Amino acid sequence: MRTILVIGSGPIIIGQAAEFDYAGTQACKSLREEGYRVVLVNSNPATIMTDEETADAVYIEPLTVEFLERVIIREKPYGLLPTLGGQTGLNLASQLDQAGIIEKYGIKLLGTQLEAIRKAEDRELFRALMREIREPVPESWIVESDADLEAILDVVPYPCIIRPAYTLGGTGGGIANNRNELWETGRKGLKLSMRSQLMVERSLLGWKEVEYEVMRDSKGNCITVCNMENLDPMGVHTGDSIVVAPSQTLSDIEYHMLRTASLKIINALKIEGGCNVQLAVNPDSFDYYIIEVNPRVSRSSALASKATGYPIARVAAKIAVGKTLDEIENAVTRTTKACFEPALDYCVVKIPRWPFDKFGTGDRRLSTQMKATGEVMAIDRTFEAALLKAVRGLEVKSKDLRHVAFAPDNCTDDALKVAISQPTDERLWALAEALRRGWSLDEVHRHSRVDRWFLRKILGIVVVTEALRQAANGRRRDEEVKADILRAAALGVPVRTIRELLGPVADSYGDLFVEAETQNVYKMVDTCAGEFESATPYYYSARESEDDQALISANS
Amino acid sequence: MKPTVLVLGSGPIRIGQGIEFDYSCVHCVWALRETGYRAVILNNNPETVSTDFDTGDGLYFEPVTLDDVLRIVAHENPVGVVVQFGGQTAINLADKLQGAGVKVLGTSPEAIAAAEDRDQFESLLTRLKIPKPPGRAVRSLAEARKVAEEVGYPVLVRPSFVLGGRAMEIVHSEEHLEGFYQEAEDANPGQPVLVDKYFTGTEAEVDVISDGEETFLPGIMEHVERAGVHSGDSMAVYPPVSLSGDVQKQIVVSACQIARELGIKGIMNIQFVVVDGVAYVLEVNPRASRTVPYLSKVTGVPLVKLATRCMMGETLRSIGYESGLWTRLPGPGDGTRLGCTANGVIQTETAVGEKGVETPEPPLYAVKAPVFSFQKLARVEPSLGPEMKSTGEVLGVDRTYEAALYKALIASGIVFKPKGQVIITVDDPDKVAAVEIAKELHCRGYQIAATPGTARLIAEAGVPVEKLNKIQDGSPTLLERLFEGQVSLMINTPGPGQKAGSDAARIRRACIETGVTCVTSIDTAVALARALPVFEDPTKALCLSITEYVRGV
Repeated sequence: MRTILVIGSGPIIIGQAAEFDYAGTQACKSLREEGYRVVLVNSNPATIMTDEETADAVYIEPLTVEFLERVIIREKPYGLLPTLGGQTGLNLASQLDQAGIIEKYGIKLLGTQLEAIRKAEDRELFRALMREIREPVPESWIVESDADLEAILDVVPYPCIIRPAYTLGGTGGGIANNRNELWETGRKGLKLSMRSQLMVERSLLGWKEVEYEVMRDSKGNCITVCNMENLDPMGVHTGDSIVVAPSQTLSDIEYHMLRTASLKIINALKIEGGCNVQLAVNPDSFDYYIIEVNPRVSRSSALASKATGYPIARVAAKIAVGKTLDEIENAVTRTTKACFEPALDYCVVKIPRWPFDKFGTGDRRLSTQMKATGEVMAIDRTFEAALLKAVRGLEVKSKDLRHVAFAPDNCTDDALKVAISQPTDERLWALAEALRRGWSLDEVHRHSRVDRWFLRKILGIVVVTEALRQAANGRRRDEEVKADILRAAALGVPVRTIRELLGPVADSYGDLFVEAETQNVYKMVDTCAGEFESATPYYYSARESEDDQALISANS
Repeated sequence: MKPTVLVLGSGPIRIGQGIEFDYSCVHCVWALRETGYRAVILNNNPETVSTDFDTGDGLYFEPVTLDDVLRIVAHENPVGVVVQFGGQTAINLADKLQGAGVKVLGTSPEAIAAAEDRDQFESLLTRLKIPKPPGRAVRSLAEARKVAEEVGYPVLVRPSFVLGGRAMEIVHSEEHLEGFYQEAEDANPGQPVLVDKYFTGTEAEVDVISDGEETFLPGIMEHVERAGVHSGDSMAVYPPVSLSGDVQKQIVVSACQIARELGIKGIMNIQFVVVDGVAYVLEVNPRASRTVPYLSKVTGVPLVKLATRCMMGETLRSIGYESGLWTRLPGPGDGTRLGCTANGVIQTETAVGEKGVETPEPPLYAVKAPVFSFQKLARVEPSLGPEMKSTGEVLGVDRTYEAALYKALIASGIVFKPKGQVIITVDDPDKVAAVEIAKELHCRGYQIAATPGTARLIAEAGVPVEKLNKIQDGSPTLLERLFEGQVSLMINTPGPGQKAGSDAARIRRACIETGVTCVTSIDTAVALARALPVFEDPTKALCLSITEYVRGV
């Protein structure tokens, strides 16, 4: 029996959380199904992957090259699968390779090869490859002196981003809107940088941020598992963004343009497994740029797996040992193959969970450095309902789109403007409050750069909850109140919120709440939008009439 | 048709409620499936194994709130709901679920309330004659002053009904009381503030499994840092390295008595502080805690499975376990097994392995160390205290305590360059220990630098030391030295009442930004010094699979 070594991701830190336990556990199971003996190394005991049930031999040892070599000497693995343990696993595999250990012990690297990983992760190699396949990357310039800086003043597109190299926490960086600002900030940045070096890059702030989760096997078969769109435009780390799957504001042409680009990239990189491609899209034209490629399972792939039902890590592990997408069974339907692209007949919203309730003094502003410790996901039939469900599940003080910090008594219009312009963990509530105050969609969009489509949906929720508040003051007629309640319930406003908004008035509509409750049904996540038979007991609630589980029970 | 059981998950990962709860939920589901139930999961965290579609017999991807649980209960009609494994998120629903007519499996909501309510729990301890640190719940500053005077400073001030040690502070003198009292009151307005005697003792904790009558303890974990550091942020070692046999007996007896008195059916975590040979109870959590995966792996006892079976009505005896502390053979300590009758009378017997295994097991030490994410969080004060700050943990296992410590430290990301400079700047009570550490480091070839007060004592002990100035006193300062890049380690312990923004906090932040390991508890530094021989010669550490460590090669 051949042994495969799997490297875990180590302790939970911000940016590398439980998703790798999920992916690693799935992969270990998947490899054992294929008849391999799995040896796992991870220093994090609070994981399912380090259970004796998950792998054949579990080493809870430090994740260092020295300890990994000792494990390799003892276990003599035939192969190493490096793409499941996040950046930690990937870095260790590279270090083992550089130290000559992979070669010395004749270990086969499975799945995406290190060469491909380097091409994806090394900035210059990646840019060269993108140029080769004619995919656009944001222009950037390396500046090492005042003279260098002067030379590019009339070349760079404004606004541009200035990033000094080797300063802590990005000190001295910023955005320049014109050549004066670039000169001023750039010179300051050069002084602050320990190596007197800075990078000037085209600013994509305000562009739409979209991700594609793609898979490829050794024969070159490729599929898109799903795409996802960030509600927060470019400038906020994906891990700190509210994410929607599938994308909601792309036209069909844009969707396919980006899908084609993503597939082209994984083919060029020769990925064997899963890969995440991040793109920025100009909201006002068809321009786009490739931002980043993650040649491994990631937080996004965990989200995509749960959002679609498609087990990316499981399939990636099978690809790594030579199976092709058309040979691998779709474990959800059991009637289709892994080469079928999932179809979603629902909307998924992810909201990050930040630690600022614990860290009162922490800096709440969100940017390119991730700060969230975790996330919640919600599935429903509409964006509004999924958004409200996600908010309800966050376990923060606010259970809907009202937030005491932004109530008119606590927050001036000026302060609110800042709150919607500067992304923080609370911006969603600030957006709702701005709309509640009657600010136009255009104005809120101008400050926040959040797409008008999302804003319009939030406005819809605000309008119906405001109507309920009017009703509480006796300003709505009886039939209007009835319609408001049903409309709010249909949008996914929690019944508790509806009752709260109505106050004592709610008591006269008790029957209506009972009726609203009976409309709660459970729908199945089946990867194929009902096209094929499926019996996976994976459910989400919705306010509709047809219950998938009841249908299954009736048919069986 | 198999009876259905609904297992509640723990929601999004946050500080204080991490991946450990996912581990416990998944094992509960597996145990239920094994024993003939249809196990259905409710959770909304996409990062977890519990929300994998084939972990349970059904998955509801929904928020873990009362209304959502009630809807699913109406839909699934389960025989009951499991709230013990989904952290505070799940256990907080127990009472309301029962109020809505839903069966809560295992420990009753009344017992959960009795464990979590300060007054009820205190009277229970008094009834059982189990010691706890003196103190009271107060509603005014004047009352707080009175209690503090009665029990004597330092006191621990914290809000009631708030989790994870938020707004919890150790107050050393009356002048600091007012500010911290106010903070605690603001953290949960309208609720009393708790003022308790703060003991600087060794902390210990246990996860126990009970069927309501008998109580089984898979092991005792001893904290490396003294009381005052949140249990989630302290290093811990299994088995205990400094607790006497008598103290261990007290812990076992108290645990058995508390579990029986509360009527625990399932799992519970109890924390103790040991002062002058007496084990005082600090708090109990009537649910699975974050140490469950750690303890399961290093003892080989399937904690969640046992707890789940007790919760579903089986007795410990019927599944092959009985009251008392499970001891590996021959094990560190006295090589005997502490049995415990139902009413908490200790019976010492010659240890016999679980399945009557007579072969002695090799020694094992397992050290858990916390891991922080301060690099990612600007303006957060990184010193350890009663409020939890870590995001994850690692485990170091070996046959010696020193090697286990070494592994836990390096796995948690501690970088300790050999033969560099170590800067020591510590609070007064830590100075004696700091001198000892300086001696040890000096002997092993490290250069020592310290701020004036500490430097004088180190020099008096005959250790060459460079004197560094505090930030405001001009060159050479600590900060300058840090940024020069020659520092291997910083030992900086906070004085009483220090807040973010102080000099010490600036030093600690600077360490994070320069990547220099900063130890903020003198006990961590002592542990580090103890592991020095292994840092020098890593071949003293073994590399074995966890099964080999636990069950022998």
